[in-house]
Amino acid sequence: MAVIALSTSQSPARRDLSVKTFLPLMAPAIVLALFFAVPMGMMIGISFQSRDAGALTLASYSRFVNDGLVLVGFGRTVVMSGLVAVCVTVLAYPLAYYLARSTSRWRTVVLALAIAPELAGVVLRTYGWLIILDDRGFINSALMWVGVISEPLPLSKNLFGVVVGLTHVILPFGVLSLLTSLQGISPNLERSAQILGASRLAVIRHIVLPLSVPGIISSLLVGFTMAASAYATPALLGGAGFKVMATMVYEQVLFYLDWPFAAVMANVLLILMLGVAFVGSRIESRLNQNLHL
Amino acid sequence: MSTIDIELHSVSKKFGANRIVKNVNLSIPKGKFVSILGPSGCGKTTTLNMIAGFESPTSGEIRIRGRDQNGVPPEARKIGLVFQNYALFPHMTVAENVGFGLKMQGRSRQEIAAGTKRALKSVRLEGFENRYPKELSGGQQQRVAVARAIAPSPSVLLLDEPLSNLDLKLREAMRVELKEIQQDLGMTFVYVTHDQEEAMAMSDRIIVMQGGVVAQEGAPADIYGRPRTSFVADFIGKSNILPISDVGDAETGNGSLRVLLEAAGVPIMAAPMPGLGPDKARFCCIRPEAVRLADAAGALDEPANLLTGTIQKVVNLGAYLEAWLLVDGGITLKSMIRSTRLDKLVVGRRVELAIAHAAVQLLEE
Repeated sequence: MAVIALSTSQSPARRDLSVKTFLPLMAPAIVLALFFAVPMGMMIGISFQSRDAGALTLASYSRFVNDGLVLVGFGRTVVMSGLVAVCVTVLAYPLAYYLARSTSRWRTVVLALAIAPELAGVVLRTYGWLIILDDRGFINSALMWVGVISEPLPLSKNLFGVVVGLTHVILPFGVLSLLTSLQGISPNLERSAQILGASRLAVIRHIVLPLSVPGIISSLLVGFTMAASAYATPALLGGAGFKVMATMVYEQVLFYLDWPFAAVMANVLLILMLGVAFVGSRIESRLNQNLHL
Repeated sequence: MSTIDIELHSVSKKFGANRIVKNVNLSIPKGKFVSILGPSGCGKTTTLNMIAGFESPTSGEIRIRGRDQNGVPPEARKIGLVFQNYALFPHMTVAENVGFGLKMQGRSRQEIAAGTKRALKSVRLEGFENRYPKELSGGQQQRVAVARAIAPSPSVLLLDEPLSNLDLKLREAMRVELKEIQQDLGMTFVYVTHDQEEAMAMSDRIIVMQGGVVAQEGAPADIYGRPRTSFVADFIGKSNILPISDVGDAETGNGSLRVLLEAAGVPIMAAPMPGLGPDKARFCCIRPEAVRLADAAGALDEPANLLTGTIQKVVNLGAYLEAWLLVDGGITLKSMIRSTRLDKLVVGRRVELAIAHAAVQLLEE
């Protein structure tokens, strides 16, 4: 009897697929269904409705394709997100490399400093940038006081300002995705290359960069998707002149009360991000094979 | 100068307050297979890293081919290095791995191809050029690592425990091969290991390190036959290490010394130890194979100590038997006896033992 009891108790999950097994998963499943799946479904549904009644129509989609202003906003979002992704990755790389290789006791301090900005809210940090980049902000005032310029430089309310702000906000995520990848590269590989005559630059070029391509791709993906979905920073640093998909959706919902069109734009944004993520992950898995990691 | 490849002059290395390497002096002759042997934490890997240039000495001077290496980065030292975990570049084929050093030297494509082929031939790994490291077995990866290190023809090859990730059979086969490769190329090999058998099997010269200092240096037979300290005697091979006292003067014609085995109060004759004053000797070392049964010692044509004792325990090791012998007076000696004499070894039986004077080595500490 004891033997039998033991053997059944060892593999309960395999035989007994009763309600009990799934009970712990019920709570998160319900939360996800209620607050994620249902609203997503509703958004897709709403996008096919006409504005006033409930008739099914493709009107909002055809408006999206034909509205020049909206298409410009879409293009702006793609360009901005791409720039942010590149800036984040380029700036995060040296920092992540330092963090991956350093044995100094300052390493933890640097890591904390790299992540710490995330603790302050996005809005707070964006206002910080506004103080620096505004027409009467720190940089422009200082330059004008020195006399280098007479008119303020266009540092905010445009692509430049938004890219700077978003890069700052997203940088820690880039650092973290690159760090994981760089930590996976054995320092002995670099030492091997060095003793074989490779300079520091050659080691980076021939060993570190090729082996960290998966990390670079995931940093680009994180940068792109976070930038494309960001709202507060483009709204504050971009202003009325620099509208991206996220701010335009907000506008449609709150000012024009055009939910179907807002839903269309949200869906297009979603498809854009899913598409980029899909292509990125395909490239990444292909590379992983080619790199023989 | 040309006969010495690497010299260390009173080299020390501190990490914080820890002195890992203390005032080490070494000279490694050209074309020799030299092992740096010691337990983990003895400073051997740090010494290797300093020679390679990954660490710089806190004080002292390292010379390679007669040139001071202070401030010379690893990539400019023109030496080869084989890591314990091989450190092959996973994104490059075998040929690309092996050709990497030549490529970094800016050689032409033909030269790289020829050099790669030559290096792969010397490690007997032709036909694997287009494989990737992860498609190879551990032993094959090891060969690629060696080929990669020797392809740019460095004058010195450093090897950091390169065989410790292989299984026993392969390890023994690779020992022979590494030695052959070294002799074929006439390259200086500096081999860091904690495995005394490996060091004994391959080296022309062994440097035993302990606690950051060189404990003893010499040919393998010398280190084994004439250990200077109880650490060396204990670390290299098996040994009986016994405390002694009352070291007398040379008594017999061959210069043997009379010493007292402390625990047993038994006097025995020991080999003279040049350079070791009688007041400095604290222990003596007797290798188990030197402890013989007296009936076999009739053939011993040198002066021997004769002792009597009782057989305590016998362990069969296949070709040899290891016997624990309780010598009258109260000390236990381990003895290695050929298995053909199994019938003589009955636990509890009284036996007569013979130990040649020359086989009793006096130790400093």
